Amino acid sequence: MSLGDLLRTSLRGVSANKLRAVLTMLGIIIGVASVIAMLALGNGARAAVESRFRSLGANQVQISTQMAFDDDELVTAGKELTYEDGLLMPENVELVDRVDMSINAQGKARFGRATLDVSVTGATPSALESFVSAGEIQPVNRQDGEALTLESFLAFGRFFTLVEVLESGPVCVLGSQTATDLFGGDDPLGQTIWVNRARCEVIGVLSELELVDESQRYQRNPNEILLMPISTVIRMFYEEEPSVMITAFVADESRMDEAKDQIKAYLRQRHDIQPDANGEYQDDFNLTTRKDILGAQQEAANTFSLLLAAMVIFSLIVGGIGIMNVMLVSVTERTREVGVRLAVGARARDIVLQFLLEAILISVGGGVLGVAVGILSIPLAASLNSGMALLEPGSIPLALAVAVVIGILFGIYPALRAARLDPIEALRYE
Amino acid sequence: MNGPSPVVIQTVGLTRQYAMGGAVVHALRGVDLMVHEGEFLALMGSSGSGKSTLLNMIGLLDRPTAGQYRLEDVEVFSLSRDDLATIRGRRIGFIFQNFNLLPRYSTWENVALPLAYRKGEYRSEEQYKKAMQMLARVGLNQRAGHQPMELSGGERQRVAIARALVTEPAVLLADEPTGNLDSATGREIMALLSDLHTEGKTIIMVTHDMNIARYASRICTMRDGTLAEGEPAYVTG
Repeated sequence: MSLGDLLRTSLRGVSANKLRAVLTMLGIIIGVASVIAMLALGNGARAAVESRFRSLGANQVQISTQMAFDDDELVTAGKELTYEDGLLMPENVELVDRVDMSINAQGKARFGRATLDVSVTGATPSALESFVSAGEIQPVNRQDGEALTLESFLAFGRFFTLVEVLESGPVCVLGSQTATDLFGGDDPLGQTIWVNRARCEVIGVLSELELVDESQRYQRNPNEILLMPISTVIRMFYEEEPSVMITAFVADESRMDEAKDQIKAYLRQRHDIQPDANGEYQDDFNLTTRKDILGAQQEAANTFSLLLAAMVIFSLIVGGIGIMNVMLVSVTERTREVGVRLAVGARARDIVLQFLLEAILISVGGGVLGVAVGILSIPLAASLNSGMALLEPGSIPLALAVAVVIGILFGIYPALRAARLDPIEALRYE
Repeated sequence: MNGPSPVVIQTVGLTRQYAMGGAVVHALRGVDLMVHEGEFLALMGSSGSGKSTLLNMIGLLDRPTAGQYRLEDVEVFSLSRDDLATIRGRRIGFIFQNFNLLPRYSTWENVALPLAYRKGEYRSEEQYKKAMQMLARVGLNQRAGHQPMELSGGERQRVAIARALVTEPAVLLADEPTGNLDSATGREIMALLSDLHTEGKTIIMVTHDMNIARYASRICTMRDGTLAEGEPAYVTG
């Protein structure tokens, strides 16, 4: 039989009982759709992790306070990581050049009659540089390929200086939206606003900014912030020493591990952490480098892939058994047809190919519908996973190839059974 | 007659045994049969006499336990299963008691079915053309698009005859071709087979009905797996 005749014959065989074909496809549809959706979730999670930590340069160590659960409440495990810990780090740790520190608080800003709930970020003078080098946000009217500069982030005025940070200077830099909300169209530079109960001079206004990557929308709107020296925020908002986030910049990228050891030693000394009986330290801080994140992420991805593979194999085997079952029924129902075909000159291989192709058509039909359902379900999967699901393009040919293999694997036995029928018995079959 | 016609079918000592429930059934016990081109042979015999077994053997649907069979000078039982299928598709046309048309296939598609298995020889439009010629031959070209369900018994058998003719076979094998038809329709079908015989087709027909067997040019009777040569029949109607 020519391929065209064969294909027509098999298509008729499948379409003779459409409902049954579709129900049989269901197993494959579900299997393939979950592959597409799960791979999209994995892909989205990876992209999100990557973009989240893209800002963490290869020469940076992120240091945060270790948290622990106490009676279902998240508390610090030991001492807080303080502003002073960070401030003194460059002097005391050989390999650390400088540190960035930040802390966030919610406050009220007031100018004249305008009052505003605002997210206050306490930062160090290099915060603006970090913004620029992280590449996560950009001025809204930035041209493609145009280099990001410190100047392009500032609309008016200046950023605060190291002296202002060390002296807890009463100065602030406003996000563009914050400036508009407080001052309308007036010039805010040099004006004094109230932040909570303290006076604060506006020394700069940021340009209107936007996120480079839309998948980062869980972050705060960069235009609605108010930046102050970190020491000022601590003095104004906290009665006790708060935890800060420290980013240490290491002079030599090739000595990151050594730098981490030095930082650990420094913080253990400051937090007075002694080794336990086994000579191990119960640190109350966390050190994270880009290498750590990528390693952990790789490990998670491997585990995820393994789980996914197992799930997919199970669901496709179940789908394949469904196909085999239906094909066996179909062969029995069409015993007479097989007899007729053998009588008019069909060879065993013609019969095998006809039924095998039917199984493949069902399986691939399920595969194609599964891909469609999978793609359509990505937005749903994304909404269940805080917006992180991206179609993995390689998953489509993979899914279809797997569908063909399933069709062959589970279609071959019924097809061979059909071809082995005795023509005389088959012609007499009622 | 201008000398004897060539021999189409020759069997020598054709034997077929089955094992059935521990017992051995001797369906054929050494059948010698010679059929010449253009002959219309009726195989008669009671149920279980072996006539259908012989017909299946001649149609290459079954292999003998012993014996030889030459179809157009080819010793067929030395061939592989696939080769037998190929010869079956080219040189033999079957007509069954219960028509054996494929449901959901139109009349012309049923007729064209054997052509589809002759790889590369007939494109779809050629299959259609050839099938339509055969349907015209049996007087059913107006019903080419109908499905078997929409046809009467007589029409279905004529479609089956068209299917048997479409490959221009060396021999037509008819197994009780009127068995499922009323007598008037049966006569129509027999008239059609007689016409084909007149045109020179070789036909072997199994029947247990003497009135049907009379259409043949020769009648053989089978009993207990052996063949008894009969009188040449006189053709009626």
